[in-house]
Amino acid sequence: MASFAHPDAMRPSRPAPTRAAPPQLPEDFWTRPRMRRYLLFDATGLVYLLVGLVTLRVAWALADGPEAWQALLTSFAHPLYLAFHALVLLSAIFVGVRFFALFPKAQPARIGPLKPPPRPVIQAMLYGAWIALSVALLAILGGLWP
Amino acid sequence: MRHALLRLEPVIWLLFGAGIMLGTLLLPGYLLTVTLAAPLGLLPEAALDYDRARQLATNPLGSLVLLALIALPLWKGAHHLRSLWIDLVGASSEAAVATLLYLVALVGSLLGILAVVRL
Repeated sequence: MASFAHPDAMRPSRPAPTRAAPPQLPEDFWTRPRMRRYLLFDATGLVYLLVGLVTLRVAWALADGPEAWQALLTSFAHPLYLAFHALVLLSAIFVGVRFFALFPKAQPARIGPLKPPPRPVIQAMLYGAWIALSVALLAILGGLWP
Repeated sequence: MRHALLRLEPVIWLLFGAGIMLGTLLLPGYLLTVTLAAPLGLLPEAALDYDRARQLATNPLGSLVLLALIALPLWKGAHHLRSLWIDLVGASSEAAVATLLYLVALVGSLLGILAVVRL
């Protein structure tokens, strides 16, 4: 099996005579709405990382037995947990709306012989899947189905 | 370290992309029920009692969803925090920070697999 190409395989042996300036964050980035939104999108990473760890605790409590499970649900009623999970919900909605706007634009013009559907169709499919999955999880975890 | 990260970039991007897409698709339904409605007493009592919750989580599809809810947000979070670090602090120390973040995601994912298997 062929190995991965070396990441620097195409790097020139000497720096080219002219180079682009190194990227630098402007000092007034807080005043630029597009940059603020971009950084906020990145910052949701902290919320996602933390909720992944909290969900790990959920699975662990479920494996530990009924008392651990009940203790977990009781701890989730603490205002700090409620505020954190509300923040995660807002972050997930923000990420979803921004990503689903970006996703259709990032599609290749062709995938083999196939052309991707028009952008509004891709976006409608994404929102459709989002709503369907959310409703299904609400019904199943909310005890309405099955 | 930088070379290792560059070589692993396709795998990291796959998990990061899955984290944004699947993580975001799954999170609202999970958050609204398990972490918000249940603690506030807005769900029927039997909805998330231990037996039913365990039954849902040990179903093959349920186990996959639970694992996805643990692992994918970890990878999305790790990669976006790496990107935020580069933007706000600079690229000089990013290899060490990226390694640490991906290690957290990797260990969390492995513990997630272990937790799901333990159920």
